[in-house]
Amino acid sequence: MLLLILSFGAYLFALWKRPLLYVGLILQIAYITSRGIELGRLPLVGAHDTITFLSSSIVVFSIPFRIVLKKKLSRFHRGIVILAISFTVFALISKQYNMPLPPVLRTFWFETHVVLAFLSYALFAIAAVLGYIYLREQDSSLDGMQYRAVLIGYCLFTLSMIFGGIWAYLAWGTYWLWTPKELWTGILWLFYSFYLHARLRQWWMGKPMAFLSMLGFAIVLFTYLGVSLLMKSSHSF
Amino acid sequence: MIFLKNVIRFFLSLRTAIWLLVLIFALFFAGAFVMPAKEEYRSISLMPLFKWLVSQPIGITWWLWGSIGVLSLLTINTIFCSIESVVKKRKVTHWLLLISPQIIHISFLFILFAHLLDAWGGFKYLTFVREGTLLRITEDNTLQIKDINISLDTSGYISDWKVDVEYFLNGETVRKDIIRPNKPSVENGLNINVKDLRVFPHEAVLLQISREPGAVWALVGGILFMVGITILILFKIRIER
Repeated sequence: MLLLILSFGAYLFALWKRPLLYVGLILQIAYITSRGIELGRLPLVGAHDTITFLSSSIVVFSIPFRIVLKKKLSRFHRGIVILAISFTVFALISKQYNMPLPPVLRTFWFETHVVLAFLSYALFAIAAVLGYIYLREQDSSLDGMQYRAVLIGYCLFTLSMIFGGIWAYLAWGTYWLWTPKELWTGILWLFYSFYLHARLRQWWMGKPMAFLSMLGFAIVLFTYLGVSLLMKSSHSF
Repeated sequence: MIFLKNVIRFFLSLRTAIWLLVLIFALFFAGAFVMPAKEEYRSISLMPLFKWLVSQPIGITWWLWGSIGVLSLLTINTIFCSIESVVKKRKVTHWLLLISPQIIHISFLFILFAHLLDAWGGFKYLTFVREGTLLRITEDNTLQIKDINISLDTSGYISDWKVDVEYFLNGETVRKDIIRPNKPSVENGLNINVKDLRVFPHEAVLLQISREPGAVWALVGGILFMVGITILILFKIRIER
């Protein structure tokens, strides 16, 4: 837990000293690795571990965007750091899931399903940050980057749904269950399908796309945290 | 004739696709609040969707009926737009870039078709069984639970399990199989899954016998999506370079 607290500190000071973001990331990766070694499995079950993974994924995926965003880096950096700090705080106050995994969760399909889902969430978060900056600066290059983040995020999210479906079929004999979590997953997928199609029409370009990418991430947060905390589902997180 | 032209124009439009997506998004969004509020939804995953839908009042299922209607329109729209796109752009775009979004569209249609098949012709039966229980799974086939083996770790959590089953045809043994975590037994197109386990007072398992005729189509749809999206992203990266 000390590593996670230190990573929080590094992210916090990264608001003033940019390179500390990488220090925070290294500490967070070290923490995730130590959790994996301690538990003897991929540490991706429960709110604590998944939020930590999401926080570090956002920072990792932000790196290529930072390289391209030379002049607009300041706002982007601040947005990413604020997200990393927020999720790390949430991870620190969330309970750790230290129990052994039920046998049904010990499979490649489940692990891949979860990893892909959180990688896609991280890309949707980056698209939301880019959308926010676009609303402030109206730079068309931000619009293109936002689109790329959403496209790759959508691809990973769909793959996560496919892998989850295969796992559910093997584990429970059905690839789709009508539970609130699956329904919200469907809502999220439909939303980003709408985003990618709307972008093909001129009317939606620019500000509407920026708003949509921010709205999309709000749906991501509800699908991930809101549904798990407020509704009964087959997913713990 | 004018009416037919308007119908074709409606289905050939990207604007139609966008608004149908908004509509289905809105219906699912509404459903996300109806579902947790209504007790009836507890049984939705226990039977094929259409069978459940017709047994429930329209007051709680309207958003699902609406979604099915919108998805039907979206299916026609997808087919029309995909054909038009291939015809219009066949000479101006690289064929792989032209075909990859259409592969993704086809994969979406395959997955919809899979859901339709399961909603219509799926089958599910759940029962708690103990060692020795005999179950008739088809007219002539019987399944017997031969052995339930549940391993517990030092903290009392289930660390592993296996269920030995034997199939009989007209009373004669056909074959033996073992159900393990993520490894169901398959017989006569039926999936035999263990959905839950109970250690006390006797070892027992919640067995699900199910048939999902759409599962193969959904898998094909999933594979097609992976192919389509990989081509699309690789080409977009190459073009931007």
